[in-house]
Amino acid sequence: MPTETFTNEVIDISSLPKYEEIALQHPHSNYWKIIYINLSIFLGLIGIGATILLIFINEIRTYTFLITAIYAALIAILFLLFRASFKKRGYAIRTHDVIYKSGIIAESTTIVPLNRIQHIELNEGILSRVFHLGSLQLFTAGGQTGHIHISGIPIEEAKNIRDLLLKKLDLTDHPTIDPTA
Amino acid sequence: MNDFSKPQRQSAAGIVIMAAHTTLSIGRAFIFFIIYAFVKIQSAYLIYVLLGLAVMILASFVFAYLWYIRFTFFLDKEKQEFVVNKGIFNRDQVIIQLDKIQQVNINQSILQKIIGVYGLKIDTAGAHGEEVSIRAIDETSAYNLKAHLLHKKVAVENQPELETAPQITEEAPFLKLSSWTLFKVGLTSNYGQSLALLAAFFYTVIYEGRQLLDSLKIDKNAIESTVTGMLTIVTAFILIGVLLMVLLVINMVRTFYKYFELQISQHKDTLLLSSGLIAKKNTLVNPAKVQITKYSQNYFQKKLNMLNVSLKQAHFGESKKGHEMQGNTMEIPGCNPTERDELLRMILSKLPETNRTFIPDWRFLNLPVFFKLVLPVIIFLIVALNVPEVKPFISAAAIYLIAGIIMIYISYKKHRISVSEEFIVKKSGIWDISHEIITPAKIQAITTFQYPWHKGVDVGHLCLHTAAGQIRFKYGNYTEIKQLVNYWLYQVEHRNENWM
Repeated sequence: MPTETFTNEVIDISSLPKYEEIALQHPHSNYWKIIYINLSIFLGLIGIGATILLIFINEIRTYTFLITAIYAALIAILFLLFRASFKKRGYAIRTHDVIYKSGIIAESTTIVPLNRIQHIELNEGILSRVFHLGSLQLFTAGGQTGHIHISGIPIEEAKNIRDLLLKKLDLTDHPTIDPTA
Repeated sequence: MNDFSKPQRQSAAGIVIMAAHTTLSIGRAFIFFIIYAFVKIQSAYLIYVLLGLAVMILASFVFAYLWYIRFTFFLDKEKQEFVVNKGIFNRDQVIIQLDKIQQVNINQSILQKIIGVYGLKIDTAGAHGEEVSIRAIDETSAYNLKAHLLHKKVAVENQPELETAPQITEEAPFLKLSSWTLFKVGLTSNYGQSLALLAAFFYTVIYEGRQLLDSLKIDKNAIESTVTGMLTIVTAFILIGVLLMVLLVINMVRTFYKYFELQISQHKDTLLLSSGLIAKKNTLVNPAKVQITKYSQNYFQKKLNMLNVSLKQAHFGESKKGHEMQGNTMEIPGCNPTERDELLRMILSKLPETNRTFIPDWRFLNLPVFFKLVLPVIIFLIVALNVPEVKPFISAAAIYLIAGIIMIYISYKKHRISVSEEFIVKKSGIWDISHEIITPAKIQAITTFQYPWHKGVDVGHLCLHTAAGQIRFKYGNYTEIKQLVNYWLYQVEHRNENWM
């Protein structure tokens, strides 16, 4: 009976560790500052562009109010969206896999088993350096979509995680270890 | 026996092959220029044109010779690597780890057939999709090298006495396509690709034709007016009929060209596929490296009792240049169910049985119905009510709506995922109903996601990332999906099976 073997599995499944119940760590609060600064630079550039257009092109000056309103709305929407996405991000390292949760509207959770990691990258941007943060990327053979990119981890912790993962990769005797730091 | 441990060149015939290749690609780029030159130029200057052609061919040969001199390859046994040195002006070295090799193809084009050499191509699973192609190698060396590349590990570890044994011994194929089957395949499958081919062909003909007309100073308007004059309703129908016939013929020719005398035989632990009408193509595949096994069938094929099977291998990394995509997916058309089962058994070591099937929620229908039906129809109606020219076609909206509803409903009914202890089978499709089969060990990463408004009704989505693409299951019961994910994670992490 095929169903019989599966009923066995059902019992197994319920006793298995549940990825959805793991307490996740959130990005460092300084990471919000980085997002904030990046966003401000981006919006500032758009603002300067819009102002220049308003000053030099007479025809669109009648729409000044509309443009300002759209600009304000853009600021509000972007900040709210990024805030929401920042709140939702979380990661966890388990003995056998890495979990990363993210999403602006939809909540998506990606899980990469450690024995499927191809290589690891640790990146530090200019701003990240100022705030002592780093971002960790885990690549699998699953291509563009099957990889995890965790931003805003305190640099010490990120390095620890990297070393831990590399050690585990060594243990599982993975053929390609690429400790690009 | 040559064991390829010393750096060596290809067969000297490679110069001819490479020169012909270069000449052809230059010639193709200038084809219309050359035709123009022959048609238009006064005979006094014809000598210069011929001279130019001669120089071009000579240059190709010089280029080919240099390329031949600089192109060496060898097998590094210590490091288990295959090393290729090449580059005419710069020095390029390509190093391929043997265990990263996906498959080795031995091909023969017409020219190679005349000269009596083979082309050998190595497909890798390296993160950067590096590819090596040897253009001229004699048959024994080709098969020998292939055997060395693919069986190296086994040979070293388990069967040292087999290392020197040539692998060319042909075994009886367990699957062989007859011409009659191929005819049926040509009738029933791959319309889309043939259509694209036809469209591309017409586009080039029209585009290049215009340029030719321009350069020959023929009156374009005269031709255009005769063409439009010929277009009446009757001729339009005839034209469509002719186009359909042409499509069918092209489809048939393509099928025969690609799959003529397709046969599959088993060589130790690998499968050997060979097919092709003019250029014979041999592909050796290791079943363990097949990531997704897929079979599909449409209504006609069901009536004719046949299926298309395709084996997908890892293709991560940067996408290779379009025309070099030979064989990441291997198509075996026209199997009957028994042959399919035999193939599946060979690749998956047993037939996939499924214990539990999960079906999507009816909310699956919402988005496609809205974006593909309701929204376009509303836009069309608004346009139609305001533009008198479009008004007579308003009934088309109803046809579109009905056809769309039926198609979306079928896609909903066919969308399901079946799971057993050892297999995951995803079924989907509207016309071509396909089954994609993977074992949990092939999973690279898993993503689950859910929209906030589906939280209350417990509906969510699942995406399994494999090295050969994704397998998605949409609008499932989220609690069940999470259970499955936990189970698959357990399987992947607990067993630590090799995925390649």
